[in-house]
Amino acid sequence: MSEQTRAPADVPPVGTDSGTATGPDASAEQLPGRGARLTEALFKFQSLFGLVLVFVAAVAFSPSRGGELVFLDSQNLFNVVRSISEIGILAVGMTLVILIGGIDLSVGSVLGLASVGAATLLMNNDVGVAVMAAAVLAIGLGFGLLQGFASARFGIQAFIVTLAGMQIARGLARIWSGGQGISITYGDGPGQAPVLFSLLGERTFNGLVPIPALIFIVIAALAVVLLRVSAFSRHVYAIGGNEKAARLSGVPVTRVKIIVFGICGLLAALAGIVHAGQLNFGAPNDGAMYELDAIAAVVIGGTSLMGGRGSVVGTVAGALLVGVLRNILALNNIDSNIQLLIIGLVIVLAAGLQRLRPASVSS
Amino acid sequence: MTTTSAGRTWGAALAACALLALSACGTTHENAQPKPSGAPAATKCGADGKYTIGMSQANVAEPYRQRMDDDIRKAAAGVPQFTVNFADAAQDNSKQVEQVDTFLTQRIDLLVISPNEATPLTAPVKRAFDQGIPVLVLDRKVDGDAYTEFIGADNVDIGRQAGQYFAKTLLPSGGKIAVLRGLAGSTPAKERQDGFNDGIKGSSIEVVATADGDWLRDKGQQQADAVLKAHPDIQAIYSENDPMAEGARIAAQNAGKADLPITGIDGLPIESGGIKAVSAGRLSATWIYPTGGKEAIDSAKRLLVDCQQVPKSQTLSTRVINKANADQVYAELNGS
Repeated sequence: MSEQTRAPADVPPVGTDSGTATGPDASAEQLPGRGARLTEALFKFQSLFGLVLVFVAAVAFSPSRGGELVFLDSQNLFNVVRSISEIGILAVGMTLVILIGGIDLSVGSVLGLASVGAATLLMNNDVGVAVMAAAVLAIGLGFGLLQGFASARFGIQAFIVTLAGMQIARGLARIWSGGQGISITYGDGPGQAPVLFSLLGERTFNGLVPIPALIFIVIAALAVVLLRVSAFSRHVYAIGGNEKAARLSGVPVTRVKIIVFGICGLLAALAGIVHAGQLNFGAPNDGAMYELDAIAAVVIGGTSLMGGRGSVVGTVAGALLVGVLRNILALNNIDSNIQLLIIGLVIVLAAGLQRLRPASVSS
Repeated sequence: MTTTSAGRTWGAALAACALLALSACGTTHENAQPKPSGAPAATKCGADGKYTIGMSQANVAEPYRQRMDDDIRKAAAGVPQFTVNFADAAQDNSKQVEQVDTFLTQRIDLLVISPNEATPLTAPVKRAFDQGIPVLVLDRKVDGDAYTEFIGADNVDIGRQAGQYFAKTLLPSGGKIAVLRGLAGSTPAKERQDGFNDGIKGSSIEVVATADGDWLRDKGQQQADAVLKAHPDIQAIYSENDPMAEGARIAAQNAGKADLPITGIDGLPIESGGIKAVSAGRLSATWIYPTGGKEAIDSAKRLLVDCQQVPKSQTLSTRVINKANADQVYAELNGS
């Protein structure tokens, strides 16, 4: 954090080509490509650094029991990872959307729709886990693609499209569920869910690692790889950096945007399945406000809401940072209202630090 | 804020541990700040012990649940052996599961929980119960019977009493009424409606409009505005809680029907609560939905301090609040 705060407070002008850096900062600018990669690495370092800071603080302030720190208890650490796994999965998709300069407010509602869908299909329609998962993921993907299409093809702001999508998905969830939460019970009989699905609520490796945490890690790893090696990645960063320039240089902007929103919807649906599996319950109000937690994780992770800058690693660090912070505050019995204040301050701090960063290039 | 690069490397290693933690990270550390925690064995009891109670609340933003926490705080202040830690899940099942897990990490001696929903909280409550931690479930049951005691009122019964009040007292010769429901998809909204329908069965009361007020005062007002426009001839409104009823009162006044009978549920004994509203004449009646906070601490005391058993279930009785008894009940509930 220290070296970043020492950087000159050079705020990149909104919506202009950030490729032309101004002031004493210009020395940090390099050729596009290599420069972008360098800056990107710096970003990742910064958000990880915040996590390290919070982690160290958590260790320092951890209550102890019999000479052992409660915070570092492996069960507790995995509780932290489990607790952020759903928000983390949402945040990975959200990172992609925000990288192209968009936003997706619908993810919490899509999670609710998927959670209801998973419970209904398993309990009332007696389908298998695979069919259920395929159907629910297809719904999420379709929902995201539609939002991307509306936003990219007709040029409606993503904020508006997904604000509408948020209402629509919530309404669909309420209609599908008949307005009631659906309990999931396991067994072989009709009206019972296959026992396989109960795995989502369990832990593996000697009952230590929660399955949802594994799913989150796998998704995050896939996203990191996607953003490292593919042409798709360059397109995403290019659109976020400067959409017009990207379009002129032959990036299929509309298609990439639609795909990104599709991925985000798909991941929201996945998070919904995980949600229903963890809680043995699918309720129409599930996931309310999760979109904001996901955006918070992305922002703390150092991704710029202007698009074009940021990384999935940063987002994972951001989500973990919030999880660790909440955990250590709870372990010390800090009042829940004070917890809200502290987490709010951390978001502001992270966003503030982001503005102090040098402008970056990506293409 | 500045850290040496050596410290950063060390921290990064720890962070990596948190991220992957495939083997347990070092669980001892010299910087530990020792903090007294409760007795490790939850099955212990006796008057000379110190006990930590974890209170997992579904959503403190609701005045009813805030009052529940306050009741617990007040009652626990009278038991020198008790320390109560409060957690607020902000209406999120996942968050509440996480908070119960954190309590288990802290090795609390007794868990009090007011679940946001039954099924999702069943597993963590069972985890606590299986570890020998007594669990007192307030207001809403979990599934199965892996808990020590359930303390709560019966929403169906309260709805039924309200329905009977409409049928016998308010509109004995029948009439058209509207219903303001709580949040669609929530259990109490359904139960208070089912009970009410049961209570008015056989009477000539006709529910001509049902609207979702989401438990909120402003939503209640909006919905009542619309209902009164569409059905200006309704003779009373049944609201499933007090805040929506208060909102409906404003709507009724705006529609020039200041005398329209409106009833609520909850009857919180606080300044902004339903009992005061009945006393002031804004509500015709309300039914007390007791928090069970005081009863929970009583049970905790019996289990931990007195080493006694508690019954599996304790149903708290409701009572109707009307103009005649409002002030007296208010004083009574805030006195002890």
